[in-house]
Amino acid sequence: MKTNQKKAWLFLAPTIIFVTLFSIYPILRAFGMSFQSGSLIDLTWTGFNNYKYIFSDPDFWLALKNTLLYAVISVPVGLAISIMLAWIIFDKVKHQSLFETTFFMPYVTSTIAIGIVFRYIFNGDYGMLNFLLRNLHMPAPDWIDDPAMSLTTIIIFGIWSSLAFNIVILMGALRNIDPNYYTIADMYGASGKDKFWRITMPQLVPTIAFLLTMNIIGAFKIYTSVYALFNGQAGVGNSGTTAVFYIYNKFQTVGTPGVAMAATVVLFLIILFATFLQRKMMKKIGEN
Amino acid sequence: MKRFRIGTIFSYLILFIFAFITVFPFIYMILGGLMNFQETTSIPPTLIPHHFEWGNYAKVFAKAPFARYFFNTVLTASITTVVSLFNSLLGAFAMVNLRFKGKGIIQIVMLSLLMVPGEAIIFTNYNTIAHMGLLNTYVGLVLPFLTSIFYMYYLQSYFGSISETIYKAAMIDGASDWDYIWKILVPMSKSGLFTVGLLSFISGWNSFLWPLLVTNEDTMRLLNNGLTAFASDAGSETQLQLAAATLTVVPILILYFIFRKQIIKGVVRNDLKG
Repeated sequence: MKTNQKKAWLFLAPTIIFVTLFSIYPILRAFGMSFQSGSLIDLTWTGFNNYKYIFSDPDFWLALKNTLLYAVISVPVGLAISIMLAWIIFDKVKHQSLFETTFFMPYVTSTIAIGIVFRYIFNGDYGMLNFLLRNLHMPAPDWIDDPAMSLTTIIIFGIWSSLAFNIVILMGALRNIDPNYYTIADMYGASGKDKFWRITMPQLVPTIAFLLTMNIIGAFKIYTSVYALFNGQAGVGNSGTTAVFYIYNKFQTVGTPGVAMAATVVLFLIILFATFLQRKMMKKIGEN
Repeated sequence: MKRFRIGTIFSYLILFIFAFITVFPFIYMILGGLMNFQETTSIPPTLIPHHFEWGNYAKVFAKAPFARYFFNTVLTASITTVVSLFNSLLGAFAMVNLRFKGKGIIQIVMLSLLMVPGEAIIFTNYNTIAHMGLLNTYVGLVLPFLTSIFYMYYLQSYFGSISETIYKAAMIDGASDWDYIWKILVPMSKSGLFTVGLLSFISGWNSFLWPLLVTNEDTMRLLNNGLTAFASDAGSETQLQLAAATLTVVPILILYFIFRKQIIKGVVRNDLKG
């Protein structure tokens, strides 16, 4: 037991050193910096001024609004589509792994590269999407260059990207459901609808809770896909700005790290709160 | 019976539409990278290029140092993968097989750190790296990622499934912990380690925000940063942008198609912690 002590810390040493330096310290530092003003090399105490600043900054509110809207729309829609597709694959398809492999592709490929392709497909003039929409006699908006459309475009891309992880995890969960449930249900002549709502969905609740958490956290951190869609901008006239865009801008471009860190702390608290709230909700649903 | 059939057909229709939507951007990217400029911006859009313009790739390599980007990306992704795997392996071994005071606290701290979004600490990490004078260096690019709580946690669940009696037997036979790790633990969890390695390499390959922060010299850029810079510089030359995007995506897609089973299994296993 005694000898184990020293050894254990030795084995853990690299992890503990790196984690302290690059995970724990930066959290504390971010928190501290949110109460400081000035440039990175000359920081002075400023109390709650940074927080006052961001809460009276319309850009921050726009970033927050966009981020929230993105999360609130893309996460449930993406998850609903994923559940539908996973269920179809699980219930009807013989070559499940073929579809799994297909749907999972976006998860491993670079968001930046695919974002560039989407920018091109979404192009208002020569894009494939508008070509299709015009042929179907539907409105063909300017997805990229119209500020009013920025968020919609971001959401569509977000949903497209989110299916991969969701479907694969859901397929794993579906396979874990005891097949006897379905056999018994069939014996009693249950319809497909009944089987889905009475057996599948209740069994999926923990997985859906997990996916909701992961998706919401991911949605609040959205940055790269916006960057790729709008070629480094946050949409025309910053119309598609997000929380991380705001933080990056304040930190790197404007050079006010204190303000950026105040926004980071707020974003972090929102993520924590959303996760907490959502866990509570899922628990309630699970109990019923 | 008839209703059932219509339902099935409808389901298949939905499935194929979404599968098409998923795959289409990849196909379009590859085809678009082989078109000439007129074809990429024609109305109605061209789908199959009249003549495959392989020369686009030569132009991409001539216009931007993509060879260098490849080298940088492979190097940093490999170093991050190997070192973080090594560190996680040692850490996970200690957490599973050794008994020591403070283990519970370490576990709690690690688990709560898993909740912290990377974006919340990336900017202060930039600060640290800048202070160390490591901007625009390989060390700066990899340093914060040389350990991964996530992978350590993942390996813990793997090692936990290996019976403890094996460890005890090895100790009785006079093996050291080091022997046990390399001669028993590693060979027994090869598939787990391999999957973690693959996932780590892929995420290293696709990293974007961190290298964007800590590099501003063209020679130090990683693929994705080089790609965005190229997309702005090449401006209107859509076919070259698509060719460059193809260059970034195809190596990982090949890796993915070869190891798809391990990768998907590995990702699904992740969720067990949920």
